[in-house]
Amino acid sequence: MDILIQQLFNGLTIGSVYSLVALGLTLVYGILHIPNFAHGALYMLGGYITLSMMTLYGVNYWLAMFVSIIAVGLLGVLLERFVFRLLRDAPPLHDKIAAIGILLFLEAFAQFVWGADFHTMNSPYGQVVQVMGLTFTLQRLLIIVAAIVVMVLLYLFLKKTYTGSTIIAMSQNREGASLVGININKVAMLTFMISGGLAAIASSLASPINLVFPGMGHLVILKAFVIIILGGMGSIPGAIVGGYILGFSESLGATYVSNDYKDIIAFILLVVILTVKPTGLFAKGER
Amino acid sequence: MLKLIDVAVAYGSFTAIKRVNIEVEKGEIVVLLGANGAGKSTTFRSISGISKLARGEIHFQGSPIGGRAPDKNVREGIVQCAEGRKLFPRMTVQENLKMGAYVHRKKKDDIKRSLEYVYHLFPVLREKHHDEAGSLSGGQQQMLAIGRALMSKPKLLMLDEPSIGLAPLIVEQMFQVIEEINREGITILLAEQNANAALGIAKKGYVFENGEIVVQGTATELLANDEVKKAYIGA
Repeated sequence: MDILIQQLFNGLTIGSVYSLVALGLTLVYGILHIPNFAHGALYMLGGYITLSMMTLYGVNYWLAMFVSIIAVGLLGVLLERFVFRLLRDAPPLHDKIAAIGILLFLEAFAQFVWGADFHTMNSPYGQVVQVMGLTFTLQRLLIIVAAIVVMVLLYLFLKKTYTGSTIIAMSQNREGASLVGININKVAMLTFMISGGLAAIASSLASPINLVFPGMGHLVILKAFVIIILGGMGSIPGAIVGGYILGFSESLGATYVSNDYKDIIAFILLVVILTVKPTGLFAKGER
Repeated sequence: MLKLIDVAVAYGSFTAIKRVNIEVEKGEIVVLLGANGAGKSTTFRSISGISKLARGEIHFQGSPIGGRAPDKNVREGIVQCAEGRKLFPRMTVQENLKMGAYVHRKKKDDIKRSLEYVYHLFPVLREKHHDEAGSLSGGQQQMLAIGRALMSKPKLLMLDEPSIGLAPLIVEQMFQVIEEINREGITILLAEQNANAALGIAKKGYVFENGEIVVQGTATELLANDEVKKAYIGA
């Protein structure tokens, strides 16, 4: 029983990270219909920037994360402005090729700047705590709480503010959005900024319990794609629920099936979903 | 108020409209007649700034607006209620209307007043203000589309086939509402296939064929014109 609860807690931790990554991916997909393969590279860069700020400049964890959010968010804006906007009228394949190009470029860039080594990130929340028979590091608790706070803030922003609603409006009808006077280009840049920021938050939170290295985004982005297919492409609740479903199945699978197979679970889920309900759990209606 | 001079729009190698000249005075209802694909919607899109001009000029209240971004045009009062309605299907009726007031988002009182005005014009929208736009019937969606356009406080309202696919009774109501909106001082440019009803409320009209204006005149002239009668009224 204790093991079960412990594993549910672990699932909640990794699920939080997955949800944050998947949210950024689904937001961009919902608006621009671009599967942003480079999202994993943004995640990786977020980790490196936070790490560098902490080790090179001695900045504290939170400030380092803040710098990372801003930097990766701005990089997202640049990608929209100078890559994807220029491809808006091109065939959809060009977006995908460009995204893969960015992914490869950013990874090579990271390797050039920081080398291919694995780095550890020491968060100030490494201490082990015991609550009700559960043993965990404070960092894991922090991941869960921070992710939930970020999701609530994102939800309020999208639902309750005019600026946030423009993102929803554009994802539901792009031409309708421009007919009411929304500047499509600004919304696209804003969406990329949020998406990049979410990736940076996710990696800054997860890095202390994982490692920082140029390929750290690979598995995460593949799983994030599984999640948004699971939740329905472009669906925001789908990305959140899908992230936690994957988190729980992995941590339970690791315990009760085999730790060696835990990364396969995502892809088994993908096969099952594509067979049973290819439109995803929270599919939006056809347009 | 609005003047199109020799406007042409091309989609790739296909010329959708060529040499279109239109003049609209403040406070008028002007109707664009013509079959599907004759160029009415493209004309609207060029005025809105969604389609780029290949040639020609567009003037609004004395200043050139050709090539200006659509969001700027909405802010200046050029608002289009497009064919196919272009609503936000999974937002509620009220959220759709509020998005219509996007360019006036800082003026909370104005938004409330506009909302009241729209609900007064279309009481059914008030009843359904919590429903998703996608769940409404065709007629209600059309009302919502017009309502959303009104929320932008247009000086010039362009309505693209507001009666398409609606039951005759609803069509009649729709034209009454258009007249009522016009009485508030909003200039209206109306694209229609229902020539009889449209000319009944309009002052003048232009007839489109293959991307060009082939006949133009006052409503009475057009109603008496044999070709117009044959082609669009079926008398």
